[in-house]
Amino acid sequence: MNRINRYLNPIERLGNGENSFFLPLIANISLSILSEMYAYGIAHNPMIVGMYIIFLNAAFIIYFSFRDGVLGGFISAIITVLYYFYIIYTRHYSGQQFTAGVDTTIMLGLIYLMLALIIGWLKQTIDKLIGREANEKIWLQTIMQQLAVGVIITDNKGRIVQTNKQLEHILGMKLPLGFHMGRDSNPLFTTMDNKPKVPAQSTFYQTLKTNKPVVGREFSIQRKDGKNLVVQVNSSLIRNKKKKVIAAASIISDITQQKELERQKDDFLSMASHELKTPITSLKMFIDLQRQQLEEKNSQKAKYFNERIGDQANRLKELTNDLLDVSRIQTNKFRFNSEEFDIASVIHDTVEGLQGTTKGHEIFIKGAKNQQVRADRYRIYQVLVNLLSNAIKYSSAGKKILVEAKRDKDEIIVSVQDFGIGISKTQQEKIFERLYQVTDTQEKTFPGLGLGLYISKQIIERHKGKIWVKSTKGKGSTFFFSLPLRIPKG
Amino acid sequence: MNKKILVVDDDKDILEPLSLILESEGYAVDAISKGKDVYSRIGSFKPDLLLLDIFMSGTDGREICRMLKRNNKNKSLIVIMMSAHPTAEKDSTNIGADDFIAKPFETADLLTLIEKKLQ
Repeated sequence: MNRINRYLNPIERLGNGENSFFLPLIANISLSILSEMYAYGIAHNPMIVGMYIIFLNAAFIIYFSFRDGVLGGFISAIITVLYYFYIIYTRHYSGQQFTAGVDTTIMLGLIYLMLALIIGWLKQTIDKLIGREANEKIWLQTIMQQLAVGVIITDNKGRIVQTNKQLEHILGMKLPLGFHMGRDSNPLFTTMDNKPKVPAQSTFYQTLKTNKPVVGREFSIQRKDGKNLVVQVNSSLIRNKKKKVIAAASIISDITQQKELERQKDDFLSMASHELKTPITSLKMFIDLQRQQLEEKNSQKAKYFNERIGDQANRLKELTNDLLDVSRIQTNKFRFNSEEFDIASVIHDTVEGLQGTTKGHEIFIKGAKNQQVRADRYRIYQVLVNLLSNAIKYSSAGKKILVEAKRDKDEIIVSVQDFGIGISKTQQEKIFERLYQVTDTQEKTFPGLGLGLYISKQIIERHKGKIWVKSTKGKGSTFFFSLPLRIPKG
Repeated sequence: MNKKILVVDDDKDILEPLSLILESEGYAVDAISKGKDVYSRIGSFKPDLLLLDIFMSGTDGREICRMLKRNNKNKSLIVIMMSAHPTAEKDSTNIGADDFIAKPFETADLLTLIEKKLQ
């Protein structure tokens, strides 16, 4: 604007409303002269003339303050006051009249300045607010257009008031403004199985109707160009300060590729699972058959070898299961059954089974019998096997292992205590992480993939329980897990 | 008379030891590796129990189970499905199989299950 002003003559410059000096100057002087002449024309009372001038000048100051802000108002007020002084001096007032004139002018000047300050400040504040709102609108618009997801904003009737470019890109067509998400034929609900398009299916519409946000709804849609897509829709309500719903915003993401990758991963997982488990199944059966033969022939050495082969096959089986469990956890495919059972009897069975695998340890069970819990029996057994085999693995020097189940208010706390190498404080924080393994004082490593405690933690947490450890390096460790007596649904 | 078990699995490395184990337990065993032969073999062998793999190349064990269970003639035939597939257990209960065992299984567990079902 300033650059343009340079090329304009003074009068044109005044018209631009940018100048806070010339316009008030000219306006005040001419107004005062005009009003003075006019006033003298209709009334000869100087008091009335004075009033006219004072009010008209005040009106001008208000106008300039409002137009140009505090500074404009100030300049206008100062010019006016200076003009009053000029009048007082040029009219050759004397004595009392002169002092009264000066006093009145100073008082008026102060009032004018106050007016300029208040009105000017108001004007500037309003400008700022309007400016900020306008800026915010521009920012939001820019961000919305740059988003990698489609956006639909509807009014509280379900009619589109705003969309972005990405939406057009995803849907392969433009949804015009005013398009009714619930009523008009909607590309998002032309489902692949050609189910009828019920207005209530529209998440946008549903959000508006139920007053609740819709999260992560997935739709399979077919675009006009024949391409099949999977889109995910999240809808939420926009309310004004009085909490009244004024609009609904929906985010549409194209998750086709993600779904395809997930499917490929699942397929691979199933295939790998099948392919790995089949030879293990066969191997285990041949080992059992061989054992039968060996028992008939009673060859001690061959029986020992057969046992060793059997142990390795079991290890392979456990590792395969662990790997598959981790994959399932990561793809959210870790499923649980729920049944009521006595955890004490599961502990008993597990201890009996694992006692057979170690000659150097004696496992003791403490605590009450018959502790009913509702959980996945196999998964809890899996956690117990894991904690007990860790206790055996990490306590080659310690002979004793204690397993205890205690009831504490609304939960059962199971603990497995060993007197082995123990875990340092820094290691304690990491042991429940995936692939983490404890080393002993000589940094000796132990066999395994480092998945057992990670899987156990996932299992216990999915049962709304907790798993933790207390340990002193060199003295042994106690692992605890808690299970609520009643599992909350979902 | 010995109870008769028909084993169906497309993997011969499973079929062979499985048959040997069941025979050594005193069952009369017949084994086939092609799913499509099941119906005719049931007619000729008349098994008491069918040990059926789910995912076989060419045939789906679930489809066989569904067909068998639909036919009244096979009502008394006990079907135990087996699979190494992670989601197979849920499938098998939905189609009327009498039980399911996940591969890899412990031989002892399989024998206990068969014994229980044949009682």
